[in-house]
Amino acid sequence: MSEIQIRTENITKIYPGTRALDNVSLSFVNDKVNALVGKNGSGKSTLVKILAGAIKPTSGEFFLNDEKLHFDSTSDAYAKGIVSVYQEMSLIPGLSVAENIFMGRLPKKNYQIDWRKTFNMAEELLNQMKVSIDPHTLVYRLPMWQMQVVEIVKALSFRPKMIMLDEPTSALAQNEVHSLFNAIRALRDQGVIVIYITHKLQELPQISDTVTVLRDGKSVGVVNTKEVSHKEIIHMMFGEVKIQSRPKNIKISNECVLEVKDFSSTGWFKDVSFNLHRGEVLGIAGMLGSGRTELLRSIFGVDQVDKGELIVEGNPYHNLNPIKMVKAGLGLTPENRKTQGLILMHSIRDNLTYASMNLTADGWIENTRKRNQFAERQVKDLQIMTSNIGNRCDTLSGGNQQKVVVGNWLNTDPKIMLYDEPSRGIDVSAKQQIFEIMWEQARKGVSTIFVSSELEELLEVCHRILIMRHGRIVDEVDPDKVSVNELYEMCMRGD
Amino acid sequence: METTANGILPMKRNKVFLFFLDHIIEVCLLVLIIGLAIGAEGFMSWANWMNILRANSLKGVIAMGMTMVMVAHLIDLSIGSIVGLSGVIVAVVCRDMSARGMDLDIACVLGMFLCLLMAFGIGSMHTYFEHKFRLPSFIVTLVSMGLFLGLAGRLSGGFPIANQFPEWYNALGGGRIGGQNGIPIPVIVLLISFVVVWFIMGKTTTGRATYAVGGNPESARLSGINVAKTKRVAFIVVQIMAVISGFMTSGQVMSGTFTFGKSWEMDVIAAVVVGGASFDGGIGTVWGTLVGVIFIGVIGNGMTLLNIDVHTQYIVKAVVMFLAVLLTSYRTRIKL
Repeated sequence: MSEIQIRTENITKIYPGTRALDNVSLSFVNDKVNALVGKNGSGKSTLVKILAGAIKPTSGEFFLNDEKLHFDSTSDAYAKGIVSVYQEMSLIPGLSVAENIFMGRLPKKNYQIDWRKTFNMAEELLNQMKVSIDPHTLVYRLPMWQMQVVEIVKALSFRPKMIMLDEPTSALAQNEVHSLFNAIRALRDQGVIVIYITHKLQELPQISDTVTVLRDGKSVGVVNTKEVSHKEIIHMMFGEVKIQSRPKNIKISNECVLEVKDFSSTGWFKDVSFNLHRGEVLGIAGMLGSGRTELLRSIFGVDQVDKGELIVEGNPYHNLNPIKMVKAGLGLTPENRKTQGLILMHSIRDNLTYASMNLTADGWIENTRKRNQFAERQVKDLQIMTSNIGNRCDTLSGGNQQKVVVGNWLNTDPKIMLYDEPSRGIDVSAKQQIFEIMWEQARKGVSTIFVSSELEELLEVCHRILIMRHGRIVDEVDPDKVSVNELYEMCMRGD
Repeated sequence: METTANGILPMKRNKVFLFFLDHIIEVCLLVLIIGLAIGAEGFMSWANWMNILRANSLKGVIAMGMTMVMVAHLIDLSIGSIVGLSGVIVAVVCRDMSARGMDLDIACVLGMFLCLLMAFGIGSMHTYFEHKFRLPSFIVTLVSMGLFLGLAGRLSGGFPIANQFPEWYNALGGGRIGGQNGIPIPVIVLLISFVVVWFIMGKTTTGRATYAVGGNPESARLSGINVAKTKRVAFIVVQIMAVISGFMTSGQVMSGTFTFGKSWEMDVIAAVVVGGASFDGGIGTVWGTLVGVIFIGVIGNGMTLLNIDVHTQYIVKAVVMFLAVLLTSYRTRIKL
């Protein structure tokens, strides 16, 4: 099989304020699974988007073998045989596997769809991937990993030279991952360049042949997977990190405000127990899929647990739901502010006062004046940048939207705040402001649980960090006594 | 100075533009009224206006409740059948209970009370299936539509039950306050129901919760809002409105007939949509709906006065509704 190679030369991508990629020169060859790793914001998705034709580099060039590539759109990239499979499923659940694979390109005979040919072609492709999926099956009946395989087969049906897989295992269970890996190896053996993007380092020895590490938009190096240890890869990913110190004047009392006892939820987490003290900022470190988001949601009563007890300030709570938990003094800023935290079409004022509705009203009659006061107070305290609180919430930037979500809860005078990835998709200064808010609240005696996949943030903000892995709390660390690398290693360790 | 002018002026223009857009239905109504006042003889007379209002108040009352339902991103298609059913129930109770010696007035009140009880029951049932079983409200209430039409038919034996009501009940639909040229009682009921729903939607926590639930049920739930209760209130309010409309309809013709109200749901939804409520929930006002009801009434009345045939009237109403929806969708996409 002839060698094909994709090569980038000094690719730079500048966004206002940041250099997403900085003179990146790399090459990926076929017959290998090339892993591409790096922490959030390292530039890996920018690189993938450039190769897939979704965005253009600010400067630099890239080549397929010796042909210089220039893409105006993703369809240009397709035409050159470069396809990408994203985390989000693009399949249509109500159609068969075969129809999904050949969507928009179904073979025809006499102006009619040639079904026999469609299913035969699909069957042939699926066989190449060494999986037994009946092409007649409706997609929604398939398990998650088989859907991923169908995605890959769909990409394969374009006879590509290169396939980029963006975190294909993020939604899969452990046993499903192995089945998917078999399919990816089959893909590699057909002579396609495979680029495998992941943040799960424990997968690397199983699936990848080479590992390319990006850090802060720069290529740190390419290594053979067999020749490096986890530790070395983590070191390449993080380098030397300086952690900003948190204010020392926050006093944690010994008083326990929240006790989680034996929380279990099938498929998500098991036997989780911990305590939270008054004024404490407690971090939960864990990778995507470790069960951290589900744990927070369950504490707030959004999802039901199978087993477990929750004690808030000495009072046990059962059959949790958000209405009860708000009354108990809890607040949750959810993972996705746009779909779970805000009502984007409504005003900033409304969004700042939904959770505190019962406090701003006189009984069940609305008090507009009080509601305005509550909203204005948060706009001022949290420095939400807006000219008018009557404006729609979707006119705000991401950081300001996140502050509205936080302000909505601060208006309820919470005792315990749960933050799920509060810094996702917001800029550095907004991030710092959110942390300042957490500390400010801690000084007032509010206890905080802070979940984040940005481990540096946890080290910077928290008093204590719990490590969550595969749905269990496996360790507890003092942020002053652990480095980012060590923390990452703890979250990643496969057991 | 140049930059300030550049920075602020478009903003101001934008606000004026938005205000205009927000009140486009009122503006259209005003233009229409002025046009008809000039062009159609007899349009501006007191008698004609009372006629317009009376003719549209029976559906208008339900439209008030439907606004609440649609703002909560739900729908209730069963209201038409409920209109017929409640008239039949009152008529049957009046007939059978007075035959057993009960005072007719008391029997009638009993029948009305049963209908209101039924409104609570059906509204709660809709909420139960929509919320607990995650069935689309369109389907749940479509089932109810058929179910209650059938039940009303069975209960009435398929015939109108005429001349069973006491005088005061008939007056609910046909009476006027202030003599022959006075204000029809249904118009007064329409105004009262407008005020009541306006108060709930605009001045109570339940009203705010309705907007939140319709805007984004997940965010509302995560803000500690009782989503099920909010939906229940909306579903019950629209049912109560349908029952009240049923009283007036049956009173007006002095007969409980199971086909009364059949296919009203589309007209009611049309009025709400013309009034600016979003089909996707979270946006809409009862004031808008009131204007929508009057708007549709005025168009119909104007065209009749101008001797435009009924088929053309359908076409014109369809086009008007289409334009209204187009405007609403445009408006909800504009940000400030």
